[in-house]
Amino acid sequence: MFRLAAQRAVANKIASSSRAVKSSTLFARCRTSTWKPSAPASLPSVASWGSRRSYADVAGKFSRAKPHMNIGTIGHVDHGKTTLTAAITKVLSGHGAAKFTDYSQIDKAPEEKARGITINSAHVEYETDNRHYGHIDCPGHADYIKNMITGAAQMDGAIIVVSATDGQMPQTREHLLLARQVGIKKLVVFINKVDMISDPEMLELVDMEMRDLLSTYNFDGENTPIIMGSALAALEGRDNEIGAQKIESLVKACDEWLDVPPRDLEKPFLMPVEDVFSISGRGTVATGRVERGVANKGDDVEIVGLGATFKTTLTGIEMFHKELDRGEAGDNMGCLLRGVKREQVRRGQVIIAPGSMKSVKKFQAQIYVLTKDEGGRYTPFMSNYRPQLFLRTADITVSLTFPEGTPDAEERMVMPGDNVEMICDLVHDVAAEAGSRFTLREGGKTIGTGIVTKILEVA
Amino acid sequence: MLSSRITRLSSPRKASRAYSTPSSKPSLQLVAQLRKLTEVSISKAREALVASNNDVNAALRWLEEDLATSGARKAAKVEGRDAREGLVSVSVLSSGSTANSGLGGGGIRAAMIELNCETDFVGRNTLFTQLAADIAHTAAFISEPVESDRLINSCPLDVLNDAPLLSRTNPQSHSSSTVSSSIRDLIAKVGEKVSLKRAVTVVQSPLSQHTTELGLRLGSYLHGSVNSTPQGRIGALAVIGLKAQKLSNRLSSEAFMRDIERLERAVARQIVGFETKSIQSFPGEADGMALYDQPFMMLGGDAANETVRTGLDKWGQEHGLLEGGVEVLEFAKWTVGDVE
Repeated sequence: MFRLAAQRAVANKIASSSRAVKSSTLFARCRTSTWKPSAPASLPSVASWGSRRSYADVAGKFSRAKPHMNIGTIGHVDHGKTTLTAAITKVLSGHGAAKFTDYSQIDKAPEEKARGITINSAHVEYETDNRHYGHIDCPGHADYIKNMITGAAQMDGAIIVVSATDGQMPQTREHLLLARQVGIKKLVVFINKVDMISDPEMLELVDMEMRDLLSTYNFDGENTPIIMGSALAALEGRDNEIGAQKIESLVKACDEWLDVPPRDLEKPFLMPVEDVFSISGRGTVATGRVERGVANKGDDVEIVGLGATFKTTLTGIEMFHKELDRGEAGDNMGCLLRGVKREQVRRGQVIIAPGSMKSVKKFQAQIYVLTKDEGGRYTPFMSNYRPQLFLRTADITVSLTFPEGTPDAEERMVMPGDNVEMICDLVHDVAAEAGSRFTLREGGKTIGTGIVTKILEVA
Repeated sequence: MLSSRITRLSSPRKASRAYSTPSSKPSLQLVAQLRKLTEVSISKAREALVASNNDVNAALRWLEEDLATSGARKAAKVEGRDAREGLVSVSVLSSGSTANSGLGGGGIRAAMIELNCETDFVGRNTLFTQLAADIAHTAAFISEPVESDRLINSCPLDVLNDAPLLSRTNPQSHSSSTVSSSIRDLIAKVGEKVSLKRAVTVVQSPLSQHTTELGLRLGSYLHGSVNSTPQGRIGALAVIGLKAQKLSNRLSSEAFMRDIERLERAVARQIVGFETKSIQSFPGEADGMALYDQPFMMLGGDAANETVRTGLDKWGQEHGLLEGGVEVLEFAKWTVGDVE
């Protein structure tokens, strides 16, 4: 704990110097408020406070100066998803913006353990002039859903790969439904294997059918970029105009069309309360790690959850016994709250920018139930199961039921390994919104993890 | 919307095509139309139109003939791949003893099949789910009672493959395709390996012809179903024996039927929900995998605190059956992708 504090203190000092804003050290990255696109390797500055090993290597690998976004490829097994991924890394490695990852390395889709949950997905990363991309490829629908729920690799956008010879296939509908379900708003389409068809006019048909299908599933069919090329040509370095050039256009289309999710610092301030102290002569201090946003000394804040919602003012921000004017996402800090008694603030509440979040009593959620191999339950559960719900620092008993209109709800069971949509009815209200993640525990072990999809009842 | 766009696109070309040679390029409109009708690939649709001089009906016939060869070629191409996703599908045509079983009804006729594909995207597609349901229906329909000590018998796949496919939702429809040719057609459409892995049937004539005391009922459950069809990732069939004096009198009670159906579902759910390997454990080998030793969680109420064995006995007493009047005689439980 002390070591962590020391590191943060150092990092904090650096963050306040203008030089460090540009540096790409681990900590500076977390606290850089202006994510300048230019990220010169300011390694010397890192080295200069150098007793901490390994930071330099990390910085060399992955620069956070560009906004990051996770992108997935979805498509039929034979339509060339993996070839496309390999081609992207090959073409971009030409500008030194990626490490060429060959077909065989991508195609393994290794089983990973993220927070103890087994995830099947292949990860590749690359950069464009404007962005840094994490590229995800999963074998199946259930894998993507699991990824979304656990947050292991949330897709912010996707490339749908369709072969020109086949056109869209029956299962392309399932691909689009999946994209909808995991919350993707915009897609880019890559029509692959254009060199394999004899009649170029057929490309028009592929294009039209795709746009039509996109519109059917509530994507913007008219404006979605559709790039036609050959991933194999790009990978083999031949036929530049349908190969490498098209890969460049595809990447450009991703840069221009897909929206980067808002970064933590741009979101409204939120700090979950971990602990509360009463400091004589000063008042009540709530501590926690800022999840997102920025707070300044003197800001109005709201304390939400576990019954009482009330407004107060941040009269001080403290980190490591030093007073600060400002705290932001990633900071472990203490908030001095004006006119608040110690009993009014409790672990499990959040301190937020006023009005940015509500306290909820009941919501709908997508839940993944851990298998027994993942440390979860051995047996199924039925409606009205009551585990503990952990959301940020809050720990609340929850009752799980099936959404209204579920057939045979009283006889329905949920088995370990299932992805289910359920209604969570909380004993106490807690601050939450669509997209908030939580875990479910019972008897000291994690049995499930979930993500809030819809708020049903506000406290 | 699509058709209007296609019309718009292809209209300027129409004039030039009217007098062109018969082997002219097929219009986008026709290719799109053919694809709507058949879901074949673009290149295949185009090939069909070229071969049939842009006559959609002729192209449809051409496709039908071609599917046999090209589908087989495609099937051969994907043969070596792994197909571990898919569905277990159950069809229950008759679930056993009822009040009027004396009049010829009351036997059991049901089937469970597993159809595999490569990704769960295809497994969720309606073409696939429908085919799985139809194959289960076909298996239940065509099977004859077999001489066997067992109630649940495996259905020979070669027989099932050659059987004409019967539609579950539309029994009137006549199609010339067999189970295997339908699978082949689906392979041609979705481009993944699709294979029928296994099938079992329960075909039992009513016991009431021989005795008034005994009856058989079938319980089934499917877990993880997509679009609330009778199929899922895990499926179970369970044959339950009943024993009571004048059983048919009891079966004529609506309340009794409602309760017995609830019990059947609970037993099947119990088998799926818990790791169940056998009905009874061998003496001295209680490992919790025997159905009768498990807590009967699925019956609801207080039953969760007692074993399935006790739960069944209590249920029998409450419903006036003879002692040991409810027995699970046999069950089959499959999970998609199981290694047998």
